[in-house]
Amino acid sequence: MSITDRRVRETFVELADTLVDDYDVLGFLDVLAHRVVELLDVDACGVVLADHHGTISLVAASSEETRLLELSQLQNAEGPCLDAFHLGRPVSVADLRTGDERWPQFAPAARDAGFLAVHALPMRLREVVVGAMNLFAVAPGGLPADSMALGQAMADVATIGILHERTLRQQGVVVGQLQAALDSRILVEQAKGVLAERMSVSVDEAFALLRSHARSTNSKLRDLAAAVVAGAITELSA
Amino acid sequence: MLEACAVALGAVGCGLSMVGAAGAREPVLSVGVLCEELEELQFTLGQGPGVDAAGDGVVLAPDLAAESAARRWPVFAPAAAQRGVRGLFAFPVAAGAARVGVLDVYRREPGELGAAHLSTALAFADAALVLVLDERGAVGTGLDQYRHGMLPERRAEVHQAAGMVSVQLSVEVSEALVRLRAYAYVHERRLAEVAADVVARRLRFTSNRRGMNDTASGNGMMDVPPHPDPDHPEGGA
Repeated sequence: MSITDRRVRETFVELADTLVDDYDVLGFLDVLAHRVVELLDVDACGVVLADHHGTISLVAASSEETRLLELSQLQNAEGPCLDAFHLGRPVSVADLRTGDERWPQFAPAARDAGFLAVHALPMRLREVVVGAMNLFAVAPGGLPADSMALGQAMADVATIGILHERTLRQQGVVVGQLQAALDSRILVEQAKGVLAERMSVSVDEAFALLRSHARSTNSKLRDLAAAVVAGAITELSA
Repeated sequence: MLEACAVALGAVGCGLSMVGAAGAREPVLSVGVLCEELEELQFTLGQGPGVDAAGDGVVLAPDLAAESAARRWPVFAPAAAQRGVRGLFAFPVAAGAARVGVLDVYRREPGELGAAHLSTALAFADAALVLVLDERGAVGTGLDQYRHGMLPERRAEVHQAAGMVSVQLSVEVSEALVRLRAYAYVHERRLAEVAADVVARRLRFTSNRRGMNDTASGNGMMDVPPHPDPDHPEGGA
């Protein structure tokens, strides 16, 4: 196991530092998804949120955007995230080659994408499940209990990051913030399209450009995406 | 639809305003006399929850007679409270950069809207988005897909495609969404499939000289043109 207490501590400090006033939710989740992959020794991590229709959308991911997007969207019909959602507890499958009966569409699709194990951790706010963290591994195998516990802690941090726990007294605030996070993601998808078309690159490459530009200029992913869609920024260098 | 919205939410009325190309907001539809007057008032003053929602996302004003409301909307809030409207909840009719309007829900009694009503209001705002886009695209589709559960506007590739088409046609993202939906409708294809073709670069949109119609082309795709679009204000600019 690659979990070291020091690295875990550093990660939580890093995430806590990000949670200042008026921070970038997508940037925060992006850091979180990458740290999850590193600390839990999995190969990919996606954070999904449900909207008011119960539709699941990916809001942040560690890598390979398109592949994870497709696996997330598929889970509106079936899959570990949907199950974690309804059950309100973690759902783990150590070997997807045995998962066809449970998820006839999702299991083969996940294998085609190169994954043999999958884990979904619910993101809950008190009694309400607002989203889930989806972990994918190339090799089959379960997650050790301490990794699961750490994963759940990271999922809780993600929930706090999205919903600003401190202001959670009103139901309306929660709905508004969930809506804002999902809408930011839509804006980023639109910006990926705009950039892909302008620069003749794939949407995945476009996202990589957006992400690294936001990092290097210390700007919010959402603001950068808005500027790209509005035409205020037309080219990004790699 | 606005009437259904008002009934479902226990509201005295609902108003739908559209955001024009220049970002100006204009009331287009309302249910209830009071509501029509207040929609106009927000528009005239450039002040109120609906005005803020056009830029900032959902705005909930559970009590317009409260001090915080009066601070935020010094002219509008007291005027509304005086007319017996205490709650005003404003929901963007939007998807990312495609901001087409705002749905305002007016209530007589002060108080929070509550989780169930909030979800309902957001669902009405989504339905309004689909209706507005298809109205602009002069096609009569929309709610069929909506009824089937999964709202197509939530799919990532639809938004990626809208971004790409906005560059191909030099139009705003909302207009690109209009064109994508209209194209899907005319060709009897699912929006998600059309979007996937655009993202995979099997399909491109080009505007013709008259600026009225879209043609799309790609390997082996049907190159059937143009949906008639007589009322289009700025087609293919």
